[in-house]
Amino acid sequence: MAVTKNEHGQTNSINQVRYGCAVGALYSVVSIPGAVPIGHCGPGCMDKQYTSLAFYNGFQGSGYSGGSVSPSVNAGEKEVVFGGEKRLDELIKSTLKIIEGDLFVVLNGCIGELVGDDVGAVVSKYQKQGVPIVYAETGGFKGNNFVGHEIITTAIIDQYVDKFALNKDHREKGLINVWSELPYQNTFWRGDLSELKRILEGAGFRVNILFGGKSAGVEEWKTIPHAQFNLVVSPWLGLKTAKHLEQKYNQPYLHIPVLPIGAQQTAAFIRQVVEFAGIDPATSESFIEQEEQEYYYYLEHFNDFYSEYWWGLPATYAVVGDSTYNLALNKFLVNQLGLIPKKQIITDNAPEKYREAIAQEYQKLAHDVATTVDFVEDGYIVGKLLRETDFGHKPPIIFGTTWERDTAKALNGKIVEVGFPASYEVVLNKSYIGYRGALQLIEKIFTVAISASA
Amino acid sequence: MGKINLRLTEVQNRERRLGTIIAWNGTASDLHAQSGYQRRGSGCKSNKDGCRLCEAKGPFTQGSVCSEQMVECQAGNVRDAVLIQHSPIGCGAGQVPYNSIYRNGLAMRGHKVENIRIINTNLQETDMVFGALGKLKQSIDDAWERYSPKAIFIGTSCPTGIIGEDIESVARKKQEELGIPVIPLFCEGFRSKHWSTGFDATQHGILRQIVKKSTKKQEDLVNVISLWGSDIFTPMFKEFNLRVNYVVDMASVSDLEQLSEAAATVGFCYTLSSYMAAALEQEFGVPEVKAPMPYGFAGTDAWLRELGKVTHREELVEQYIAKEHARVKPKIAELKKKLQGLKGYVATGSAYAHGLIQVLRELDIQVDGSLVFHHDPVYDSGDPREDSLGHLIENYGEVPSFNVSNRQQYQFYGLLQEVKPDFILIRHNGLAPLASKLGIPAAPLGDEHIAIGYEGIVNLGEAILDILAHKKFHDDLKKHAKLPYKQWWLEQKDPYILAKHPELIDA
Repeated sequence: MAVTKNEHGQTNSINQVRYGCAVGALYSVVSIPGAVPIGHCGPGCMDKQYTSLAFYNGFQGSGYSGGSVSPSVNAGEKEVVFGGEKRLDELIKSTLKIIEGDLFVVLNGCIGELVGDDVGAVVSKYQKQGVPIVYAETGGFKGNNFVGHEIITTAIIDQYVDKFALNKDHREKGLINVWSELPYQNTFWRGDLSELKRILEGAGFRVNILFGGKSAGVEEWKTIPHAQFNLVVSPWLGLKTAKHLEQKYNQPYLHIPVLPIGAQQTAAFIRQVVEFAGIDPATSESFIEQEEQEYYYYLEHFNDFYSEYWWGLPATYAVVGDSTYNLALNKFLVNQLGLIPKKQIITDNAPEKYREAIAQEYQKLAHDVATTVDFVEDGYIVGKLLRETDFGHKPPIIFGTTWERDTAKALNGKIVEVGFPASYEVVLNKSYIGYRGALQLIEKIFTVAISASA
Repeated sequence: MGKINLRLTEVQNRERRLGTIIAWNGTASDLHAQSGYQRRGSGCKSNKDGCRLCEAKGPFTQGSVCSEQMVECQAGNVRDAVLIQHSPIGCGAGQVPYNSIYRNGLAMRGHKVENIRIINTNLQETDMVFGALGKLKQSIDDAWERYSPKAIFIGTSCPTGIIGEDIESVARKKQEELGIPVIPLFCEGFRSKHWSTGFDATQHGILRQIVKKSTKKQEDLVNVISLWGSDIFTPMFKEFNLRVNYVVDMASVSDLEQLSEAAATVGFCYTLSSYMAAALEQEFGVPEVKAPMPYGFAGTDAWLRELGKVTHREELVEQYIAKEHARVKPKIAELKKKLQGLKGYVATGSAYAHGLIQVLRELDIQVDGSLVFHHDPVYDSGDPREDSLGHLIENYGEVPSFNVSNRQQYQFYGLLQEVKPDFILIRHNGLAPLASKLGIPAAPLGDEHIAIGYEGIVNLGEAILDILAHKKFHDDLKKHAKLPYKQWWLEQKDPYILAKHPELIDA
């Protein structure tokens, strides 16, 4: 069967991967406090996702149940030839004896799916006993970890939340479920989700942030049905989950494609959510005012540097990254800093049906700034497109990943690693979104821009 | 058993060739006695899977490592070759860690730093039904068009193994078409219980399709089978008028071609070098330096003397040994004072652990325990001079708690409780984070060369002093970190209890 090339020359080949596989969503499980993933996988599957997503990507770390903690059947020849259900059964049984967890999520990998193991049958035995355990069919050939993430969220909602939540028909006005960045994949997700929660709480909401240190973990998940609505803050990730919840619990959702960075975007974001929720805007308006006061205090001081620095600053930029960060950064770089977009490449294999709408967003970055966006997953093509771009009279700043380091060097430009993999960044609670994150982003951009100058 | 068979396209896995095991506990001398190094071949016929040692396998396992990862970190690190991963994208996630390691390795060796060249064929659900040799061919063409490589490796994956992709015929056809070696490496994760089979798979492919069958010899060239460690061998070998041919990592394809022309092959970790070194001797007449590994004085002396003998440089070697002893001994005496009373623990790959324990004991550091990820009862040459565990016991004494555990963190907890070390030495990820939460600092030996030779004793001593200072960090963390293990498990005295009494999980 011949492989066709697309307009950029992309074939099936992926050089320089920019995501994990569906099993990589085991890190969505790890990011729910108290949840433990169990891999029905080969011996290396868990480790590959760990060393890529959680280690050489900001060195985020394995946390409570990731890394070498995660149980795995480590399937061998025996499981391939005779099936692995028995092996999985003893692994689950021993996991419950050894590992302390509030929720266990079994991820079926390529081997289990191909040899036809009935993972559902094995797990349902435990579910019937009341064990908090769910399973997900996440064979690596089914798609990437973005796809896997929503397979997992749906599995937890259907097999766990629905079973254990109390008063599922009860709704609380002002309580929101937030679906936004993909944990671990987005190098800065911990700081970002924390800032997102802070902003929404500041505006007067109660927030189920669901992932990361600011989540109340599995207990919080059980209150998902109580939320007034689901808030999807990304161009496409999370929509599937929100639509599922709409069907399941008749819960409405609000979709805001632009993750807000900076005062302008964040204020617009808050107002949109408040309007949708129909809560009194007094709290949110006073929060915005207070935040803007702090934000512009710093921006005013930054102004000396930005308007008077002698030795040249980059004027043009390119962003290479997943849909959420790519669009969010573009909005901010154009509207807050007045930088000039030259090449935008989205690398998360966004589903075809959303691509047109995403591209439309780039047509209205500002009232007077429009640009195009390319959807490319193969790093070799990414490098080629960047090198072919005319960045004008001085070198650009590239917002990308470790893979772009060579290209940035070839262009004599600067690189800010903002996405997977960021192997030369150490990231703890750093955020690049909202009010506080935007200031950190400005610090980062211009430190990179000037630090190599002398 | 015994002979390496390069006519087979697939490498024989370690458990069949060497009787490798991944779970065992006892003392070093028990393991050595049961391994019966010198009786290789005796008694393994009765056991179908070639395992002559009992294995302490239990129902609970944590994610470990697979052979394909070792192919990435070897074949993927050949500078002017390309590795194709014929697999779904998840295997491709390995490109990320190995790129970082590759870049840092290139920088350490003074090569131009650039991204690793690995291409994933990105198999989808429909490919599982219809096969995807078309995609494999496309990726080979892409590799050729993009990089004009001197060789193309193809790594298999669990899914392609299960659906039975005929990778060999594609490779053969493309090799003819492109005029460069196109080398299938059979490294499905499920095919071997231990990932070191991935080293062998890479080396097997190189030996079959890259190494030149020439009669030319380079009298002063020595093959060094290594990963990406810093270049300690060039200055050392210069003293003997020898040149280094580093393989497999950081090598060029022509470095690999000339493997057959060298005067000798050395290794410093038989886990890594066993297959390649034995095959080079058997098939290409390049003598393998068969000696204890170069760790500590006894090991290094013996290793150098054997190298001198094989390359006919005995005198130069003796001068070097005398000079180096005199140079490092005062430094080591100083270090010993600073390291007095310390207890260390080694948790690394198998042969490497044997070497590191030697160095620690050379520094008078007490080593009561070790965890190795697997155990090979014998290495491919079968030569007793390579019996690294035997050498350790004979020259440096017993290790009372000696455990084989394939990076199983849950077992590591109990092992540390038993020994209570002041620090641990590690290489692979996964164990140090647990030790850290118990207040125990770890020295990660990313540069695998730092402990080798005489200077290695000094290097390791200094590295230990550095990490002991970290203890403040770990002690603080210890007070705040929560372990994911249940009290029942933490109270178990025997980390292998579930292997002995699997019925406990029913209780």
